Amino acid sequence: MAEETMEQIIKPDLNFVKDIIASGGESLKKCYQCSTCTVVCSVTPDEKPFPRKEMLYAQWGMKDKLISNPDVWLCHQCSDCTAYCPRGAKPGEVLGAIRKMTIEEYSPTPFAKMAGDPKYLLVLFAIPILLFLSYIVPKGYLDFSAIPRGEDGGIVYAKFMPIFPQIDVTFSLATFFALACFVIGIKKYWSAMSAGMQLKGSLTDSIKTAIIDILTHKNFQKCTVTKDRSTAHLLVFYAFLGLAITTSWAIAYLYGHEFFGLTATSLFHFGESPYPLYDPMKILANASALTLFTGITLVAMNRAKNSPKAGGGSYFDWLFIMVIFAIVITGILSEVLRLANIEGVAYPVYFMHLVFIFFLIAYAPFSKMAHMVYRTTAMVFARQAGRE
Amino acid sequence: MDKKIGLYICTGCSIGDSIDVEKSVNIAKNALKVPVVKSHFALCGKEGLDLINNDIKNEGVNTVVIAACSGRVKYEEFDFPGSLVERVSLRELAVWTQEPKSEEANLAAADYIKMGVIKAQKGDIPEPYMMETVKTILVIGGGISGMTGALRAAQAGYQVVLVEKEDRLGGFINKLYKKVPAATGEFKEPLIVDTDIDLTIKEVESNPKIKVFKSAKVEKTEGQPGQFDVTITSNGNSEVLKIGSIILAAGWRPYDANKLQHLGYGKSKDVVTNIEFEEIARRGNIKRPSDGKEAKRVAFIQCAGQRDPNHLPYCSAMCCTTSLKQAKYVRQDPDATAMILYKDIRTPGNLEYYYKAAQNDPGVMLTKGDVTGVAEAGNGNLYVEMENSLLGDKVKVEADLVVLATGIVPATVDDPILNLKYRQGPGLPDLELFDGFADSNFICFQYETRRTGVYAAGCVRQPMNIAEAQEDATGAALKAIQSAEHVAKGVAVHPRAWDVTWPDPFMQRCTSCKRCTEECPFGAIDEDEKGTPFFKPGRCRRCATCMGACPERIISFKDYHVDMIGAMMKNVSVPEEDDRPRIIVLACENDAYPAIDTAALKHMKIDPAVRIIQLRCLGSTNLVWIADALSRGVDGMLLLGCKFGENYQCHFAKGSELAEYRLSKVQETLGRLQLEAERVGMVQIAIDEYDTVPAIIDKFVARVKEIGPNPFKGF
Repeated sequence: MAEETMEQIIKPDLNFVKDIIASGGESLKKCYQCSTCTVVCSVTPDEKPFPRKEMLYAQWGMKDKLISNPDVWLCHQCSDCTAYCPRGAKPGEVLGAIRKMTIEEYSPTPFAKMAGDPKYLLVLFAIPILLFLSYIVPKGYLDFSAIPRGEDGGIVYAKFMPIFPQIDVTFSLATFFALACFVIGIKKYWSAMSAGMQLKGSLTDSIKTAIIDILTHKNFQKCTVTKDRSTAHLLVFYAFLGLAITTSWAIAYLYGHEFFGLTATSLFHFGESPYPLYDPMKILANASALTLFTGITLVAMNRAKNSPKAGGGSYFDWLFIMVIFAIVITGILSEVLRLANIEGVAYPVYFMHLVFIFFLIAYAPFSKMAHMVYRTTAMVFARQAGRE
Repeated sequence: MDKKIGLYICTGCSIGDSIDVEKSVNIAKNALKVPVVKSHFALCGKEGLDLINNDIKNEGVNTVVIAACSGRVKYEEFDFPGSLVERVSLRELAVWTQEPKSEEANLAAADYIKMGVIKAQKGDIPEPYMMETVKTILVIGGGISGMTGALRAAQAGYQVVLVEKEDRLGGFINKLYKKVPAATGEFKEPLIVDTDIDLTIKEVESNPKIKVFKSAKVEKTEGQPGQFDVTITSNGNSEVLKIGSIILAAGWRPYDANKLQHLGYGKSKDVVTNIEFEEIARRGNIKRPSDGKEAKRVAFIQCAGQRDPNHLPYCSAMCCTTSLKQAKYVRQDPDATAMILYKDIRTPGNLEYYYKAAQNDPGVMLTKGDVTGVAEAGNGNLYVEMENSLLGDKVKVEADLVVLATGIVPATVDDPILNLKYRQGPGLPDLELFDGFADSNFICFQYETRRTGVYAAGCVRQPMNIAEAQEDATGAALKAIQSAEHVAKGVAVHPRAWDVTWPDPFMQRCTSCKRCTEECPFGAIDEDEKGTPFFKPGRCRRCATCMGACPERIISFKDYHVDMIGAMMKNVSVPEEDDRPRIIVLACENDAYPAIDTAALKHMKIDPAVRIIQLRCLGSTNLVWIADALSRGVDGMLLLGCKFGENYQCHFAKGSELAEYRLSKVQETLGRLQLEAERVGMVQIAIDEYDTVPAIIDKFVARVKEIGPNPFKGF
């Protein structure tokens, strides 16, 4: 957190307060600083704890104190504070709104504002839809019967939407774009947090500890009211990890064959897709998909179940959940429909699958997906600043 | 009057199981020569009461002594109009607190019956003090409290005179822009509403029972309740009105903000008080006094010159709600922000919902912190310097207008207002106990003052808001009505309401020492040109402090006088054995005696060495009793009374304090008699400390035993 200079001047920004309220923190003004939230919070450090002071900064529109603040991202939104707040001020929701605004602040480009505003949803979807349509329409592939089939007559998605250059170049560019935005964002965030502060300890150690905490979901275990989140998020997290490994593995199969001439063995099927279901890569992929489906369903169900006590979540939150849902459902359906050879539905579903994945990756720095980067950064910073 | 005493001993409530009632009956008949002595197993029942009534009707009994339960119970049953009734608390003092069937219990019973008979022999049926009275009620102050009190009294059918020092009614509400809406559960917008004070003013001015004097003040108040002669002066003209009782609703003034220079008042034009801010709001948009520009950032500093030993030590109760209300004035401009800087937010009762509702506006910001000063910002704005806030350890809040939430100073600080022509002074005494407010300790004394017939209401009594003031004034009006009605009937008011006795001094033996005049807690005694004291029974509360003060013992009440209590003490049994002390306990009727009763109710055992005599107030303790008792061989005397001092509970305000003061004088006399000063002591006790009664008595008995028996024993 940026250290205050002596005799800091307080000039509240009324518009910032209104922004937070519009971003999901509408019960912000009910807080009367009783501190029940900080007492109940299990992840806050003891010195200058959160979320009480963040509620005050938010009420006073003190933007710089909020966006240069690791505490906002140390919060895991377990919502114990919301459940126990005697005034119904929902500090968990308010901090969620502040996180959204932090993402907007540190990720440049017009996408930042669009990702959090339902008005722009269609525009955000239009970009990948039009892009992918531009690949298939000129080839006349809107007529599904025109799409070439595999040697055995089965559906081969790679013939519908070629891997190279359409998919790989598009997604690589999207990924690089996202990474670039993340790097810029982290740098800005880190320098804002560390202004005027003494950092100690080795950076690598801090990163290591943070990663271990994340892998074990240590902080999630500390929640009381919404402790089922721990399981749900764990499943989603490891499912994503599995899918990331799967994607790299599939790329290795394809380009290993294309560039290094590797051929299929009984276990590892180097070559073009589709791959047999008993291939370990496919097994991992399907297992991850089912895990993701279970996980994201639990996430949505828990939110609905806990909402009277813990708050319902904002548009920002639910958009993210819905996109993941869409990805996992279209993904599973794509495989099932391919194997069942129902071409009328399979191709559109696969198309949407690509659209949703693009949505997730390209807009990652601006949507709730960004939490994976910012929270990790905050956890590393907190270690460095001796704030654990 | 020719007395025929009937003594009735009840054997119910385990009295018959604990003491030898036969023996008591015999003692009464033979030794005390009581003409009619009967016993019954349930005196308070129909049969028992019929027994007594029959004796009154047919046997000529006109003085009834009931030896049964405490006089604090069954008083409706044991009510025999036309007869003098004395109650002997056999059950509490000789049965429940003693070992049943013991020699000590029987001795105690015999003593208490004897004392009761003596009391009945020495007392007389009182006649009320009748004088010509009026029931007109004077209300001093025409603000919301005064106007409400006047309207309520008029509603109840009484004539009212209302005196207001300004040229119009309404008080401080005239200065307000808006007020907080009435509290009916959660507050909803609008959170600021019109005061509608003109409606109330119109109601008062058009009421035929209320006579209004404006630009007027009370020049002097003479006389007594029921017969006050109040001189009202207005624009050079004077009028003397006859008044029955008075409501003091003289209100307040704001704390002088010139003493708050460290908060910028007087140094910058843009630092104003909360009252001045109301006036700014009334004139339209909130504009800065310095340059007339609209204020966009208004800072409110709470507890300005309050809760501070250097200024006002107390909290003025209404300023936090007022600042929240004024924050809503600021927010009538949607771009403006109101920043409230507080030590605490105090919005008591339902106003907590007002806080919640007013705060639910993005432009109303609050934080806790210590405001250390206000300085120029250099750009025309001001910096409010604050420490120890969550916003930062040392911050400067930038504002273009600063409002100091200053406090309430009651009118009684500047002016006695009543201008009583009483020997004890023109105003209400001892107001430093309440930081100048015309208050008294609530549990015993709500709306009461130390001047009978004068009732305080509103901010002159305690800081309060409009709704509370209206309720307060209603209460004070009821008390004023009660006072006027009681004095018209010749009976006393709180705490001896309905007492028909009154002090009757035997002036031939008065030496004009003026001890009664100075010690009377209510200023009921004045003196004439020759310096001779004379009594105003209308002002009297019948505590008998004057009786206790008088060295010549000339003051008496029909059923309570020095000789009576003295005779009771002189006739108590004094055991001959050196190791059986006899100690007399004088207990006041308000806290001490009820505490003893409650201990008895709990069947707590009390040392049988003591004999307890109930007094109206410890202030009525006459030092001759100590001499009488000790010269009779009594080994010690313990006075038990209400607490006095800063948080006094003494129901007559000064009685127990005076008793302690007198005791310090008697130590000297005892010394000359070669008696140890520790034989006489005083303990303060509250009514809820009944469980400590046996321990207090045990401790005193032990101390007296240590000193040794009274050398006068057996003389």
